Amino acid sequence: MFKRSEFIARLTVGVILIGLPALILGYQFIVRPQLSGIRTIDISASSPENGGFQPNSFSVTAGETVMLRFTSIDVTHGVAIGPGLGVDLGQIDPGHIKEVTLTFDEAGTYTFYCNTWCSVNHWRMRGVIDVRDRVNPNVIPTALPDPVIAALVAEGVDIDASVHNRSSAMSSMPMDDAPVLVERPSAERGATIAAALTIPTEFQDDAWRQSHTPQQAIALLLTQNPNTPQTDLADAVAYLWTRSAASESLARAAPYYAQNCAACHGETGGGDGFMAAQTAETPVAFADPNYLFTMRGDVLYAKIRRGGMGTDMPNFGTLLTPDETWALVDYLWSLSVEPNNSNR
Amino acid sequence: MITLPRPAPPSARPAMPAALKTLLKARWFQPALQLITLFGFTLAILAGFFGTPAGSRNFGIVFVWIVWWALLIIVLVPFFGRVWCTVCPLPAPGEWLQRRGIIRRTPGKLHTLGKRFPKRFKNMWLQNFGFLGIASFSAIILTRPHISAGVLLAFVLAALGLSLVYEKRVFCRYVCPVGGFIGLYAMMAPLELRVRDCKTCLEHGAKDCVVGNDQGYGCPWMVYPGNLKRNTYCGLCFECIKTCPKDNITIRLRPFGSDLFVAQERRLDEAYKAFIMLGCALVYSTVLLGRWGWLKNWANMDTLPHWLLYAAGLWLFNLVLLPGLFWGAAWIGRKLAGEMKIRDLFVAFAYTLVPLGLAAWIAFSLGFVFVNGSYALSVLSDPFGWGWNLFGTADAAWTPFAPQLLSFLQVGVLSVGLMFAVNTAYRSARQFYADHRGAFTAMLPVAGLLTLITGVFMVLYLG
Repeated sequence: MFKRSEFIARLTVGVILIGLPALILGYQFIVRPQLSGIRTIDISASSPENGGFQPNSFSVTAGETVMLRFTSIDVTHGVAIGPGLGVDLGQIDPGHIKEVTLTFDEAGTYTFYCNTWCSVNHWRMRGVIDVRDRVNPNVIPTALPDPVIAALVAEGVDIDASVHNRSSAMSSMPMDDAPVLVERPSAERGATIAAALTIPTEFQDDAWRQSHTPQQAIALLLTQNPNTPQTDLADAVAYLWTRSAASESLARAAPYYAQNCAACHGETGGGDGFMAAQTAETPVAFADPNYLFTMRGDVLYAKIRRGGMGTDMPNFGTLLTPDETWALVDYLWSLSVEPNNSNR
Repeated sequence: MITLPRPAPPSARPAMPAALKTLLKARWFQPALQLITLFGFTLAILAGFFGTPAGSRNFGIVFVWIVWWALLIIVLVPFFGRVWCTVCPLPAPGEWLQRRGIIRRTPGKLHTLGKRFPKRFKNMWLQNFGFLGIASFSAIILTRPHISAGVLLAFVLAALGLSLVYEKRVFCRYVCPVGGFIGLYAMMAPLELRVRDCKTCLEHGAKDCVVGNDQGYGCPWMVYPGNLKRNTYCGLCFECIKTCPKDNITIRLRPFGSDLFVAQERRLDEAYKAFIMLGCALVYSTVLLGRWGWLKNWANMDTLPHWLLYAAGLWLFNLVLLPGLFWGAAWIGRKLAGEMKIRDLFVAFAYTLVPLGLAAWIAFSLGFVFVNGSYALSVLSDPFGWGWNLFGTADAAWTPFAPQLLSFLQVGVLSVGLMFAVNTAYRSARQFYADHRGAFTAMLPVAGLLTLITGVFMVLYLG
């Protein structure tokens, strides 16, 4: 016959060794999800060398409301979900938790990604949310081909080429004597100069502007304004190239650039980001007009969305919408010229 | 070797206060404390296995390696000796199974296979190598909750397994890496359990404290209290207080570090424990507080070859380099002061590292408890990092405590440790050299080495 104290002691041991784990784990994994009423998905974030996001992919059903709970394990990460959701949870310090409740209306594929530089392989830190159709959950949603990239491919443009002056559409234009720009073209000066120039109608066409380089535009302007110094023409193109970029669009694109591009290409586009020395190819300097004025907007768009083959540049097409990508292209143009402050 | 006459123990030390005696005689006292720590320990293992992998937000890391460790090394060991062993939950399940009871005194023999623990392992060497083994992985164990939980669980299973095979607390006495250094540093504590009158024990033939009686079990730590001269191997389980029919066992206060001068019980395995503890404190301070990030990466096993180099360095430093330096210092001292048995001198001087090592560990622990102690608040409310907020402190910000005071405290503690160590060196030397001059000369090289080591610690802590 046990004494009462021995019985209580044994009962306490049982409660500690069996009851405590059952209580804690049962509450967390059974009771708590049922009380919350929505599915909760816990995602841990660690730098890619340590496994990245875990899990790094999961499926939800269109129309289903889920709570995504992110926690950082090793260093400070940032979490955003795109494209087009506008979800940016901001930075998450180690051990902290941030959560977001989402309802995906339509089937598709979304990406959650780290947007705070966390390691040399930061750009690999992505995960996939597979939103299945409610009626046909076994059908894997496929992304439609990007029409801009498809058009470039159809045109025969080498997206990975370093310059794009000689695309087939402008092959007739004289480019061999393309000027070396000794100073950054000024959009502010260009606004005054452009007012006195004959501007070809092509400049009014956004599609034309997106599919031609500023150098080609300078060449075209020269045909209409043969006596104008080329530096003035460069200023005029700087103005004409950036005037349509609304300041709110640039403001929207600035954080995209800071979060996704600056580490390699530099905060001001100098190609001198802190990771520049570690990439397979030296990152290009957007701030150098002699480089950027040889680039087509649609090619920049394609490079951003598709990534740079063999350069270590990842694709951003799974993170950004086409509109966001174009805003980023406008932001790149703004890095290569002196801004038109009178327009701001 | 000359053994200086020790002050004769009082023929009858005073008895404990009645309330304390009643408490320590109560059979429920130790199990009640162990049940509390078992609760915390179970929570730590659960948090380690199921909670967030972020160590700073996991109860298993914060409460074991910050709160418990700081409490142990800054408060419990220096002031109360082995009192942690009183409440430690690690051996409890095994001991309860051996006894088939938690509180009650069950009659008959302990339920084990009754094997005798091999004589060659009846020393501190297993604990020395066990501690070094764990120290080799410490950068990983201290930061990865699941690994930390695995280690804690392995300790319990090892204690359980040994208790099934061997009698009593073989795990605590000969295996537990924590128990090893607690025993070593318990020599510093101003608290001791001793018999009141040795003569009473000599004349008492039944030896209830060893074999047990209906009031309690024979000493689980395999110690004969009647001959107890140091705290090192007494686990403060208080069974002897319960079983002694003569009421001849007491707990009393004494000067700090009294056990360091019990010359006849000095041993090489204990000396090496002192080297290992000081060496690990130095290596930890270098790796975790130093400016060499690559070394931290090596300790964190960034690559296997790097970690192997780190581990080899750690073992060599602790087992060869540091003892070698002490041997050299002892040898020079002997050359200067006069011939003496070098091994005895070397072992005796190694005990100077007990106060210095303890001071180094306190200084090191102050560093991280001041800096990271505030994590305990958030972990208390959210022990698993699951977004709970039990006490409303889950969002408590990380706030280093009094960083401006830290360096002063560390330097102060190290200075006290150095003074104590030098004093120990001199008093130990006096046990070999009767005259002041000879003892002073003999201990000078060791004192220089102690000062140098303290200087290295100060440079590390002051940046």
